[in-house]
Amino acid sequence: MSKLSLEELASLDVLQAAYISALDGKAMKAWLDTFDDDPDASYICTARNDVECGLKVAMMLDDCRDRLIDRCTFIEDIWAGTFQDYRTRHFSQRVTAERREDGSVAMSSNFSVIFTPDDTGLPQQLATGTYEDIIRMDGGRCRFLSRTAVTDNSVLPRYLVFPL
Amino acid sequence: MTGQEAYQRDIVWPANYNEIPKEIFVRQDLYQAEINRIFRGPEWHPVAHESEVPLPGDFKTCNLADVPLLIIRGEDGKVRAFYNACSHRSNQIEVKPSGNRTEFECPYHRWLFNSAGELVGCPNQREFTPGFDKKDYPLAQPRQESLGGLLFVTLSPETDSLDDFLQEAKTSLMDIMGGDGRLRLIGYHRVRYLTNWKAYSDNDGYHPPLLHQAFTMLNWQGGAGRQYATTGRGHYCIDTELTVPKPTSVIRDTSVIEFRDEGRPKRSSVLALFPMLVASNYLNVISIRFATPVAIDEVEVNYAYFAHQDDDEEMVRHRIRQSSNAIGPSGLISMEDASVFHRVHIGNRTPGKAVFQKGVTDPSRLSFEFRQNDESGNLPHWEYYRAAMGFRRTAA
Ligand code: FES
Ligand SMILES: [Fe+2]
Repeated sequence: MSKLSLEELASLDVLQAAYISALDGKAMKAWLDTFDDDPDASYICTARNDVECGLKVAMMLDDCRDRLIDRCTFIEDIWAGTFQDYRTRHFSQRVTAERREDGSVAMSSNFSVIFTPDDTGLPQQLATGTYEDIIRMDGGRCRFLSRTAVTDNSVLPRYLVFPL
Repeated sequence: MTGQEAYQRDIVWPANYNEIPKEIFVRQDLYQAEINRIFRGPEWHPVAHESEVPLPGDFKTCNLADVPLLIIRGEDGKVRAFYNACSHRSNQIEVKPSGNRTEFECPYHRWLFNSAGELVGCPNQREFTPGFDKKDYPLAQPRQESLGGLLFVTLSPETDSLDDFLQEAKTSLMDIMGGDGRLRLIGYHRVRYLTNWKAYSDNDGYHPPLLHQAFTMLNWQGGAGRQYATTGRGHYCIDTELTVPKPTSVIRDTSVIEFRDEGRPKRSSVLALFPMLVASNYLNVISIRFATPVAIDEVEVNYAYFAHQDDDEEMVRHRIRQSSNAIGPSGLISMEDASVFHRVHIGNRTPGKAVFQKGVTDPSRLSFEFRQNDESGNLPHWEYYRAAMGFRRTAA
């Protein structure tokens, strides 16, 4: 593990911002673009309680790039018109970031997601927790090899349509 | 009329079996009566599968409506349900959702219980009432029985045996649990739905293919099979030959809808037990959905997912990947159900009746056999509910 330069830290924040604006703007293609092209690139959304108990079933287990692409298909095509739509605001704060032996970066951030359902108009907390990421840095560009959203919620206040 | 409740007087129950007054979903005094007559009444409620607490000292806490429960596997290997309340002054015993302990200490006056719920220590005993004996103060237990490792409790002394409660749903339940109930827990989805408990249970087991675009997009047809409701409580089972969608280019990772041979008949089964349990064995997903009302307009559903003890590691991995993404509150083929629970509840705040149509050949009679996707399969449980709550059906 080694320290990152200010410039490298800034490029991580650019990635965070791209991720947030993709989800808050419901732009699934842009969300997908925050992940590396590696066929093993993954997104997992799971509850901390289950992680601590060694339980592997996740709320979303997109453990390969094909599943990341399918996630976009579920939302944009298969589920279109069936769910109660909602808007999110993601707030995330980098807490640690270190370079690993293989050159990738391990980053941990806190997150909080507020959602406003179209039908009630009332903002509510959807989830809070941490992102545990492995990031590939390629020149100035960063993308997720893996992002795991670990929720402190053991119970979600409603069903999830979009990734956290 | 003596002893008639206000809700029984005010709500007119229609003569036709396929009509349900919507007021029953939103009326607060009726909700309280349901807690007493159904959730604390003569019904069996599944609270845990033994595989959720595999080792001695493993525990989980849960609620049956407003009643807190603590499920522990004892040192003797036996799984027991207790009320989650100290036998002294009723302080809540365990606060964590799950974990492992050899002993359970109540922090208030330090009474100590073993994993079989026996009181094994309490300070200052000499000052207690004359004749005080620890043996008289174990953690209290509701009545309980289990089937295939699935533990049911009832809070009423009047409840029939579990066998009589289940009737032929017993066989369907065992089939869903891999035939022998030798399961291995692989995880959970826990979620709240903003809906009345009856709207949840009326719409979870029953699966209209028109709602699920995944079925259409993946060109997925239903197969032949048997659908029935029990005569006692209207538990209903939808059992069909499992069909697997034709090769598709709509999704790239088809493992999410792939059926791998697990040495059982290729079937897809969904069972809904009165009042709230849904269990299903679908593709390679074995799921038991423990559900409970939280308030008149809110339920909590704990989808528990299982592998079978005879699975090899590859099969366990497949089940984990499929359970995560296929079924459940964000699942490819079930997310829309969640949306329907919410929207039906909002609609139920309007006056009038909900009317069941598909498969209803004669609204003046109940039938216990139906076809897949018929709405008529839900009617026997509604009739049981009506009688349990003491509503009188309008004369035809
Ligand atoms: S209430 Fe538990 S020890 Fe007194
Ligand atoms: Fe469904």
